[in-house]
Amino acid sequence: MTFDVDFALSTLPFILKGLFTTLWVTVASALGASILGFVFEVLRRTSRVMGLLMRFVIDAIRSTPVLVQLYFLYFVLPFWGVVLPALVVGVIGLSVYYSGYLAEVFKAGIDAIPRGQTEAAKAIGLTRLDVIAFVIAPQMLRNIAAPMGNYFVSILKATPYLAVIAVPEMLGSALDIGSRTFRYAEPMLVVGAIFLVLAVAIGQGVRWLELRLLASAKR
Amino acid sequence: MTETVIPAVSLQGVTKKYGTFQALTNVSLTVAKGERVVICGPSGSGKSTLIRCINQLERHDGGKIIVDGAEIGAHGTRLPELRREVGMVFQHFNLFPHLTVLRNCTLALTRARKMPRAKAEEIAHHYLARVRIPEQADKFPSQLSGGQQQRVAIARALCMNPQVILFDEPTSALDPEMIKEVLDVMIDLAQGQMTMICVTHEMGFARKVADRVVFMDRGEIVEAAPPEDFFNSPQNERTRLFLGQIL
Amino acid sequence: MTFPNILAGIFEGFGVTATVTFYGMLYAVPFAFGAGILQHFTRGWARLAVTAVIEFWRSSPVIITLFVMYYTLPSFGLTLSGMTVGAMALGLNIGGYGSQAVRAALQSLDKGQVEAGLALGLRRWEVLGLVELPQAFTAMLPSFVNQFIQLVKGTALVSLITLTDMTFRAKELSQLSYDPVGTYTGLLVAYFIVCYPATILGRMLERRVSTPARGLHDL
Ligand SMILES: Nc1ncnc2c1ncn2[C@@H]1O[C@H](COP(=O)(O)OP(=O)(O)O)[C@@H](O)[C@H]1O
Ligand SMILES: [Mg+2]
Repeated sequence: MTFDVDFALSTLPFILKGLFTTLWVTVASALGASILGFVFEVLRRTSRVMGLLMRFVIDAIRSTPVLVQLYFLYFVLPFWGVVLPALVVGVIGLSVYYSGYLAEVFKAGIDAIPRGQTEAAKAIGLTRLDVIAFVIAPQMLRNIAAPMGNYFVSILKATPYLAVIAVPEMLGSALDIGSRTFRYAEPMLVVGAIFLVLAVAIGQGVRWLELRLLASAKR
Repeated sequence: MTETVIPAVSLQGVTKKYGTFQALTNVSLTVAKGERVVICGPSGSGKSTLIRCINQLERHDGGKIIVDGAEIGAHGTRLPELRREVGMVFQHFNLFPHLTVLRNCTLALTRARKMPRAKAEEIAHHYLARVRIPEQADKFPSQLSGGQQQRVAIARALCMNPQVILFDEPTSALDPEMIKEVLDVMIDLAQGQMTMICVTHEMGFARKVADRVVFMDRGEIVEAAPPEDFFNSPQNERTRLFLGQIL
Repeated sequence: MTFPNILAGIFEGFGVTATVTFYGMLYAVPFAFGAGILQHFTRGWARLAVTAVIEFWRSSPVIITLFVMYYTLPSFGLTLSGMTVGAMALGLNIGGYGSQAVRAALQSLDKGQVEAGLALGLRRWEVLGLVELPQAFTAMLPSFVNQFIQLVKGTALVSLITLTDMTFRAKELSQLSYDPVGTYTGLLVAYFIVCYPATILGRMLERRVSTPARGLHDL
């Protein structure tokens, strides 16, 4: 079988329909992973026991493949009576997996803030939540924007995993075409090209942001 | 008669640019074998650039640099061979932190000169004794004081048995109490007929051992004279100004 | 099936998981050092070319490169075994990330180190081998361990191109036993057993090279 350029181009519209799902899943998962990761990181600092416990949870999340975590949620949740659309399961899966990495990013970002900042905030009588919201989080965000952006790109690149649980994002759409036409090469190459363009473009965007932030931090 | 003797280093009309910035302008300087030359001048005047051109850590753009009778090709031919004949001691020592003092000294002997390890270590111990730290051979650089580290760097350069040693402000990164121990080693070297080109602002050292003191400013050699003349009757206005500031 | 039975069944696929990991390393390590060192040495167009190759492997989602290679290469007349495709796609992706650790570690060394080596008459490649790489190696190690974990976890993907690794075995067992809870829990545990020690090692190494945290904020 030879490679058919016309056929490849004809798959483009169908695959691009999956792009919307891909982007939607990316944004939702990035948000979910950030919130969950931040909660993990805050919990880790509440007490010694919680510290050890959360570190174990984070390390366990990072020690298992995202593919396997997705399978687990997809096949086991219904067994427990939790029936969710595949898309939601996918977003939960990516959120959990990347929360483990983002928690570490937040940790580094918070560790870089001088300890006196929390002490001063407590000394002027702020509540625990106010300390986090008004003193720690804003300073942390500056430290972590670049690594966080890189993980968002990673989340984008992990969205095709959702094809294995039947979410019609771009890879799923391409596999769909493949199984209907028995031609996989063309749709695969099209998906590959789209992801490459997306990942490089967003990656460059993150790098640009990083430089801007570095410049503004120097000011 | 002296014309037939090959100088250790000869620079003829050397120029060097960093981008559009002219760092060296038409610099000529001949250093005879066994001669000790001290170079001084304000910061940014091109002293480092000058001596780094001699061992080609920086390429020059124009003019000739001749080391021990051989012109250094502008295209960097056989640089490793040249550099084995030209020792260099840096302001910040640049010892290899992952290697012991002894290995710092033997590395180039075993690798560049293909010398057996035992022979190389014998030489290293000899020069470590010469710079007065024979007992530190098995330590790592980070375990030594700054003065000791710089003396190791000098021993490392001496091990290659170079024709000439270049020093780039060897004492400016040192605490005052360590400067003397390094200068003492350098004086000792000078008295042993080593050819030395030394960028330094230690004028006591210059008076004591230099055959000539060279003053640089804005990429040019402004004045060069034996120390008595240089310090007692400087000819150039800029030299006087500079000496007025540092003495 | 009891849980130990399930685990034993899953670990029958460990050989394939380990083999893909091993062959993946054969691609990853040379690529990481080769590309990282070239990037460190080259300037201008040559550097751009090296960077483009690295970015290609880093930016493409590994699940996509795996599928593209698996489905597309045959129509260009290149038929490779699933094992080879898996090892290449995973290895070059991980190697692409590794190359950035190599380059960053080389570039973070003090310039005086190279100058001192050159001034002693060593050749440029001798300086690289005797002075730069030995010092940079410590800085690369934590990243290498983390990339190794990513590689091991990534091998779960080869179950999608019919290799009988641990993930593939679990899917089989799940269909045989009608026990998705047991098998997918078992699969998570299996990867945890394999990867957790490396995760802990990575943490230890990271703590050794990173500067001590500025503040231990209790929140
Ligand atoms: N690598 C370089 N790139 C651009 N400019 C340089 C570089 N190295 C030195 N210079 C410039 O060349 C001039 C001479 O520098 P240098 O030789 O280091 O002076 P000195 O050692 O006398 O202080 C300075 O103005 C310096 O800024
Ligand atoms: Mg200088």
